[in-house]
Amino acid sequence: MLRRTTRLLLALALVAAMSGFAAAQAPKYGGIWYDALPSNPPHLDPVFSTDTTSAEVEYQIFETLLEYAPDGTLQPLLAESYEVSEDGLTFTFHLRRGVHFHATTEGGTPTANGGREVTAHDWVWTFNYITDPKTNSPRAYFVDMIKGYEEYRNGEADHLAGVRALDDYTLQIEITYPFAPFVQVLAYNTFSVLPREDVEKWGTADFNFHPVGTGPFKFEEWRQDDVIRLSRNENYWMKDEDGNQLPYLDGIEFRIIPGGGATEWAEYQLGNIYATRVDDPYYRQVTAGKETEIRPGVRTVETQHGVFWEGPQPGVYYYGFNVEKITDKRVRQALNYAINREALINLVINGRALPATGILPPSIPGFNPDLEGYTYNPAKARELLAEAGYGPDNPLELTLQYNTDPGHQRIAEAIQAQLKAVGVNLSLREVEWGTHLDTTERGEVPFFRLGWVADYLDADNFLYVLLHSDNIGPEGNYSRFNNPTFDMLTKAARLSTDEEERIRLYREAEKIAVEEAPWLFIYFYTDHNLVKPFVRNYDLPAFGQYSNKFRNVWLDL
Amino acid sequence: MARYALRRIVEAIPVFLGVVLVVFLLYSVVPGDPARLLAGQRGDPETIARIRADWGLDRPLHEQFFSFVWSAIRFDLGRSYRNNMDVLDAILLRVPATLELVVASLLLGGVVGISVGIISAVRQNTFLDYLAMTGAVIGISAPTFWIGLLLILVFALKLGWIPGMGYGDGRWIYLVLPAVTLATRPMALLARITRSAMLETIRQDYIRTARAKGLSEWAVTVKHALRNALIPVVTILGTETAAMLGGVVVTETVFAWPGLGRLFVEALTFRDYPIIRGQVLFLATVFIVANLIVDLSYALFDPRIRYE
Repeated sequence: MLRRTTRLLLALALVAAMSGFAAAQAPKYGGIWYDALPSNPPHLDPVFSTDTTSAEVEYQIFETLLEYAPDGTLQPLLAESYEVSEDGLTFTFHLRRGVHFHATTEGGTPTANGGREVTAHDWVWTFNYITDPKTNSPRAYFVDMIKGYEEYRNGEADHLAGVRALDDYTLQIEITYPFAPFVQVLAYNTFSVLPREDVEKWGTADFNFHPVGTGPFKFEEWRQDDVIRLSRNENYWMKDEDGNQLPYLDGIEFRIIPGGGATEWAEYQLGNIYATRVDDPYYRQVTAGKETEIRPGVRTVETQHGVFWEGPQPGVYYYGFNVEKITDKRVRQALNYAINREALINLVINGRALPATGILPPSIPGFNPDLEGYTYNPAKARELLAEAGYGPDNPLELTLQYNTDPGHQRIAEAIQAQLKAVGVNLSLREVEWGTHLDTTERGEVPFFRLGWVADYLDADNFLYVLLHSDNIGPEGNYSRFNNPTFDMLTKAARLSTDEEERIRLYREAEKIAVEEAPWLFIYFYTDHNLVKPFVRNYDLPAFGQYSNKFRNVWLDL
Repeated sequence: MARYALRRIVEAIPVFLGVVLVVFLLYSVVPGDPARLLAGQRGDPETIARIRADWGLDRPLHEQFFSFVWSAIRFDLGRSYRNNMDVLDAILLRVPATLELVVASLLLGGVVGISVGIISAVRQNTFLDYLAMTGAVIGISAPTFWIGLLLILVFALKLGWIPGMGYGDGRWIYLVLPAVTLATRPMALLARITRSAMLETIRQDYIRTARAKGLSEWAVTVKHALRNALIPVVTILGTETAAMLGGVVVTETVFAWPGLGRLFVEALTFRDYPIIRGQVLFLATVFIVANLIVDLSYALFDPRIRYE
């Protein structure tokens, strides 16, 4: 308990310190934040979205009980604080008072809820709505440990027993087994509070096009494939440290620029958008300038084009082996020794990633800095291949399947060349995403490209989801890795509430996975964003730029 | 003429059914389950099964087919798998943007292409003719996306004269670059067709007669020669309008133009069958109507053509 409070306090102090950093100048109100989205988001209703583009907009309109600070620590949002019972099964959230749903939307039209205050009863309704089998939320199962979930899903109960309002400002959630990352899951954007009146007014299908939440910005307009406009929520509950009402901006305009790339870059240079992702051809231009370290791993570069932000993203890029097809561990290890990750990262992707030593990326608690993983050692690779019966007369023939994308292709070609040097003939097969997922999850593909970015910042979301035998197939374990010791360790870590013990268990499990090599470990993601020099209070969030929240941002125009 | 038109419309019904059937069969053999895609890389099998049942994907293909046809007759094209929007709404929302683009491109392509063709024919084998025909060959050969990017680079980025992307809430200046891009091919094609049709007509006896009776060169070219030369030109215009609906896919993607082409691309990527079927049906209608209009318009140009 003490540790969690300390962490929250530290997070708050850090946020305060960072805001103080820019507070030399009094913030200015007004202005529109112009930004780009890479595609028309399928959803503005968080109950249904599973993609980052939708999340980028939803983060402005909706709010969760807890959220992640830019450094990755969990901090309060609509819950002011929470307690966990001794047995780790009951979570009691003390809700913030004075949080209201949006009173108006879409050009001043009153919402059905009328701008009323959010209470614990709204949370109870929201959790019931998300997990209702009729709603069919693709993310309901994230909270399948809540007491009564199964009964509610299969129709034995008419409500979710484990979620209760103790009074208007106290919410209690009971789960059926200790699950340490539970509070982290609650920061996932599906679990945002919804106004029942507005959901019922529009119905499940159309609420998506008329979203109403509690966030700093209200929904105004969505021109399909063109633009999404949000306006300032004048009744937003949060104030800055000087007591000024947030947000500072008058609104946000997300322009939908398909594919990003050249068009987005041009729009940024013309000043039509204030932030952009930077494609490889322009990367060198925006990374020359004065560098500042904001916090470990996160740096800014002041360039002629604006301020370039870069930091680690909690994700990993890998090639999975189907261990039921490539059964010889020596072969999998040999391939891991055969690739030069540093050269690959520098030559193919402009150095914008970190070599993967294992499964857990640096921003995940439990990341093991001492884990060596596989280093480039072609001699060792050849030796292992020879032991496995492959040599110049009998070269290993392998096909890599990846989903269509020029970036994936460049990396695959580089790896193909590196493997050739140790006598492995790698063929490449490109298919589109749907086919790739389908064939891979059915176990038909022996060697495949995949990546993974965290849903929540916990080792469970990597080790258990991606490699536990419970999850073989579509649930995440595409390698079909099945190791009883690994299973036992990750399961135990899942159930333990002792943070240090969990980290110890995860590190032990990760060592096994690295030794067994169900993946060709390639790199850990980094993410970046280039923002205009007049933008203040910007920060690169822990999950990457898609999870930006603009409630603190202001424009010095 | 009314009877002819009616007969053509009745004849179109099997074409519609055929188109829908082909789309159905095509998608039944393509791997990639839309319910699975919606659930994301980490999907819960129970949820996926529920979504499939909700969408009727677990029913036999022929049942899905007949239920679609029955709904379509009542103008119910279903809802998008991806975002739950009514398919007809989703299509109709995008029609204005695409229509603007296609009409602007047709006007531009038609006026410029036909004029250039006439001038080339009248001034055959002069510098002007060579210049126009070289331009036309480039226009036909250059890929649409390349022309689009080039125009953005020059007019939006380097010169900063015209916006390079987006719909700009319908302001006409935003239409310029996409319309020019989409017009390039029909413009070039029409210039070439008009030129050769005109060259053929100009050599006909009745043109010599017209000249002989002392008509002005303008009257000979425009009133007598052009009207006859327009029959192949109108045919090309018709097929090009249809082809343009393919061209909008690329153009709309390059210029972030919120029309039917973009909708189609996204629907394909996400296996959004209802949108794909709805759009195929919609496009089939447009093709059939465009062809009918072309066929009916022949009579306007050549009084010898009768519809019986």
